[in-house]
Amino acid sequence: MANKLFVIGIGGTGMRCLESFVHLCAIGMFDNQEINVLTLDTDATNGNLERVRNLIGLYSNIKSGATKDGGTPNNNTFFSAKLNLYGFNTDYNSPSRSTYRNISRLTEGESSRQNKMLSDLFLDNSSVQEFNLAHGYRAQTHLGSHLMYHGIVEAARNLAAGGDVSSAEKDLDEFIQKISKAGEEARVFIFGSVFGGTGASSIPVIPTALSDAMHVRSQGKSPLDVTKVKFGSTLLTEYFSFKKPDQGEMATKANSVIADSSFFPLNSQAALQFYQGDPTVQNVYKRLYHVGWPLESKSMDKKGANKTITGGATQKNPCHFVELVCACAAMDFFNATDLKSEGKAEYLFRTGEFENGAFNFKASDLVGNQNNIDEKFIDKLGAFLSLAHITLTKNEAGFGNKGFLGLRKQLEDNNIESYSTVPEKELEQLDEYMRHFGYGFDTSNNFNSGWIYQVRESIQPGNFIFTNAAFSKSLKDLKALDVGKLYEDENYHWDKGGFMSDSYQTFVKSLTKLVMDDGAHLVNHTKEKFIAHLHDGIMASQSKR
Amino acid sequence: MNNYILLPVVGVGMLLIAALISNMIKFEGGANPKDAGKRKVVFWLFFLLNPGVAYAVGLLTSPASGIAKTKHMDSLPIGLAIGVVVYLLIGFIVSKAMKTSKVGHWF
Repeated sequence: MANKLFVIGIGGTGMRCLESFVHLCAIGMFDNQEINVLTLDTDATNGNLERVRNLIGLYSNIKSGATKDGGTPNNNTFFSAKLNLYGFNTDYNSPSRSTYRNISRLTEGESSRQNKMLSDLFLDNSSVQEFNLAHGYRAQTHLGSHLMYHGIVEAARNLAAGGDVSSAEKDLDEFIQKISKAGEEARVFIFGSVFGGTGASSIPVIPTALSDAMHVRSQGKSPLDVTKVKFGSTLLTEYFSFKKPDQGEMATKANSVIADSSFFPLNSQAALQFYQGDPTVQNVYKRLYHVGWPLESKSMDKKGANKTITGGATQKNPCHFVELVCACAAMDFFNATDLKSEGKAEYLFRTGEFENGAFNFKASDLVGNQNNIDEKFIDKLGAFLSLAHITLTKNEAGFGNKGFLGLRKQLEDNNIESYSTVPEKELEQLDEYMRHFGYGFDTSNNFNSGWIYQVRESIQPGNFIFTNAAFSKSLKDLKALDVGKLYEDENYHWDKGGFMSDSYQTFVKSLTKLVMDDGAHLVNHTKEKFIAHLHDGIMASQSKR
Repeated sequence: MNNYILLPVVGVGMLLIAALISNMIKFEGGANPKDAGKRKVVFWLFFLLNPGVAYAVGLLTSPASGIAKTKHMDSLPIGLAIGVVVYLLIGFIVSKAMKTSKVGHWF
């Protein structure tokens, strides 16, 4: 039985976890898989949401051939999984939907008095019912769960009624229908935090909300049985902080509630008690992965910031190691062969070595070691990091040049001209992806860390698989970098190929000697073949160690 | 030694040196790598040097005087021509036979 994979990213933290997940797909950890991805947020303008949606768009463009359809699943190559992107956001933009009070129409209808009393019982009358929802639920999870559930069911009602249906509602519809159709084969993994606002509000209610939405949408004809569909999620506790809001910022009704990160540990504690004891959660989720960061939370405030960022386009927080851990949890969930089909949720965790005030993570701390997956993870992540340095550093895409064009030229010079038809613009998309993954210098020569650099920075002074030199930010050090010596463990270093040679020479030689088997890679168009060729070139170089 | 044998051997020797130097030129990065062009230059540079070196070898191996010297000097131009042809021909064949290696950049 082939599993059908679904991922839902919720809220700012969920989006960054999703970003890590996309990079795992790019390095080739999900060979021959088609994965449906839903971004779910209250804040359509959120910077993290925009960043991950752009990243997935770029990923799909890279995989696409002439038909721009996001390509097909491939085997044993980079960008091997096909990603189908869907997006839904609850609409809190118009004045009539901007606050709980407006959206709930408490003063209308026959039961208005009872509704108001009930609302006042659970939701603070002067703040929680009044703040602007456009930037999310601001750590008010009791309100958020209620609104997210109804936001999804309301969309289903609109869909069932037909008429003026938004593209976001259509996306949600298609996503839910796919889960429903997959039935027992569906594995749905949800990314979000338990300490913040949107993610923390949504994780407990999403399975039920999707099921009820499907019931409404299909008028009871096509069920989405939450006991059959396998749901998994992370219980991600606090790992970042931001400036405490002052009274001036909270002076208006719209900003009467601003999340205060000093309460995140308390929020996390309360949430974990809830997840441990709540029977609904225990029955709908098959696995819940505890993910936490025991060190001091990293401040997300920008230098000189004098205002708490509640959301919007400016909320573009850097990535953190725990988000990679969450992405690995999703991989574990998708690969699991021993998922229980019935009974209560399993709660899982792993730990890493902590010495002298720093973590020293091994691959197995993230992905385990079943079927040598830790070795695969080391090889694939190292191979993609090598490709990043080959294109960004050796071929200078990190400095504004065209790295993949240079690699293709190198192949053409070696009389391998099969890839000459790939348009230059599409090769530039690969450069752009590598800058998202690795690094890039802007036109003023400022260094911008990409995903893996940010992940590495978040665990410093700790270590994880690669040397410090692999994350150099100095132009001089980068120029001197050997792309085959990125690993801390010297056993993984490539053979540099004799006197006066280096690993890049080993790589190009491997590249030119390869006989490609397109059938084994399941590649269909020229760009996929080019990517598979580069993948095999690096793997062949890695094998020479 | 006979110029008809010696000078083609010199041509082969020059070709081996060109191949060695071509292999020592590293693959370059960047959007427009120049290493393939450099190898081509090395091949044609040695092609141009070949007659001069061969001629010098011919002179050095010439008998001191007499008919032997005359015969030796008479065969020198033909030996040179054979050496050049051998250099070009073997260079072309090797380059085409090993077209994804560094000497493949010659042609």
